[in-house]
Amino acid sequence: MTVLDIHNLGINFGGLQAVDEFNLAVESGEIVGLIGPNGAGKTTIFNLLTNVYKPSRGSIRLTDEDTLGKSTHAVAQSGIARTFQNIRLFKDMTVIDNVKVALHNGMRYTIAEAFFRMPRYWREERKARKTALELLDVLGMRDMADHTAGSLPYGAQRRLEIVRALATNPKVLLLDEPAAGMNPSETAELLPTLKDIRDRFGVAIILIEHDMSLVMNICERILVLNYGLIIAEGTPEEIKNNPVVIEAYLGQQRGE
Amino acid sequence: MGGVKKIGEPKRLFSSTWSRYLLNVLSAALLCLALVYLSVSRAITPYTSSLIVQIGYNIILAVSLNLAAGFLGQLPLGHAGFMSVGAYAAALFTKSMDLPAMLEFPIAIALGGVVAFLFGIVIGLPALRLRGDYLAIITLGFAEIIRVIINNLEFTGGAIGLRGIPRHSTIAWSFVWVFVTIYAISTLIRSRHGRAILSIREDEIAAEASGISTTYYKVIAFAISAAFAGVAGGLYAHTTILLPSNFGFMKSAEILVMVVLGGLGSILGSVISATVLTILPELLRGFKEYRMIVYALVLILVMIFKPSGLCGRYDFSLGSGIDRVFAAIRAKILGKGGNAK
Repeated sequence: MTVLDIHNLGINFGGLQAVDEFNLAVESGEIVGLIGPNGAGKTTIFNLLTNVYKPSRGSIRLTDEDTLGKSTHAVAQSGIARTFQNIRLFKDMTVIDNVKVALHNGMRYTIAEAFFRMPRYWREERKARKTALELLDVLGMRDMADHTAGSLPYGAQRRLEIVRALATNPKVLLLDEPAAGMNPSETAELLPTLKDIRDRFGVAIILIEHDMSLVMNICERILVLNYGLIIAEGTPEEIKNNPVVIEAYLGQQRGE
Repeated sequence: MGGVKKIGEPKRLFSSTWSRYLLNVLSAALLCLALVYLSVSRAITPYTSSLIVQIGYNIILAVSLNLAAGFLGQLPLGHAGFMSVGAYAAALFTKSMDLPAMLEFPIAIALGGVVAFLFGIVIGLPALRLRGDYLAIITLGFAEIIRVIINNLEFTGGAIGLRGIPRHSTIAWSFVWVFVTIYAISTLIRSRHGRAILSIREDEIAAEASGISTTYYKVIAFAISAAFAGVAGGLYAHTTILLPSNFGFMKSAEILVMVVLGGLGSILGSVISATVLTILPELLRGFKEYRMIVYALVLILVMIFKPSGLCGRYDFSLGSGIDRVFAAIRAKILGKGGNAK
């Protein structure tokens, strides 16, 4: 089943066409890689999908729902969650509260019920704590639940961002360089974790990543972007041997 | 939070949530009774008693502004505007009604809060599109508009002021409203709505990406903050004559100073600094005109040596405070093992 259907998406920043003619259909449970040199427009695509930027043209459909006119938080509620290239955690809040913020829309009690500490408040808070701990467990962070998010080591902060994104109960998970700044062993751990997340939650994952060992090993399909355009699309094997991709990354060979 | 025990901490005396709530309510009631007894038994002079009421509404002002400045992370500079709205609404109500004080006073204060809440929404919607210095300027502007309008209206008494307001604000009442304010804001913060508000302070973009409607929560938090400023205004109105000139920029700045001095995001800090900054000018009356210099010096020294405010973001919970004392005593008596269970 197609969860996310992006058709002919494009945006201009003044005279610059940052992204153009971007087409992608993501099946549920699929892991798609998005690679390309710096400035190719990868993060811009994430910002378009979450409506941080308004697309100049094109359409985005999340299971039959048009997400284009929605505000960013409404897009998150309807099922597109993301992490950020430069980590954006709620640094002065505890790890578990970070996750609970993302559980916000799954909880049902009013401000008045919170004032008077009605039974529903306790019930929902207990449920949220349980869910949050389970989610933290998936990435092996359960025992850090009461630490301040800002005090975590770098790798753990990246993982917490993934947990927080998962807590919004997404259909599509957008990961912006999840391995950036991680050491090789942390990156190696990330690989089975992401597969586990996919299997357990049935989410589709779109992954921006510069670590080729991760991308090539985990993605079923890879899109290569350069100057805002898709220059190649295929399985990791096809991408590795594609001359256009090699040229985009390494430049043309002299005298050719 | 929520009475959930952290792993690896010693067992506490008041471990269940209900016993903590009971403890908090009981100690608040005791403190209230003690204050009432003092005022009835004439152990304190009317001067001291009026000072205590003044401390009361200043605490409400500081704690409510802390919701917008410390927890939401915005910088409004028009708190006195909301205070004046609440003050006039409450005062006009009691003046026109002829009910027993026990009945009309709480209704008047609540009315002041509701009117200020509505003003908070109306002003917050356009103002909160801005942030930082711009938000400060625009809220300052709105507060000035309110003041000028009150100054020129017939039924508010204009520049001569609103006179003949019954002196309903007693120590007991101001204590009750302080309690309500602190309870309301601390329970709000420890709920999903409060977490949404805190997340906006921490990182607005990430909050939005996590599905939080940042506009809604900014306006709601701002309006609740305004509502309690209105409550404080209601208390203030029933102690004196209402003059529009008392709700100028200096009043807003004074409240902001209390919040920043106490620590942005610490309710305890707001309570302490509101108390100290109300008493300090009174204590320094002996120094005559030099007292404002001392006042300013205190502020400068605190900002140099403790820029995050007296309490930073630390907050105090009565239950866990008493627990710690008991745990320490048990540890003393039973040696190290007494703590281990």
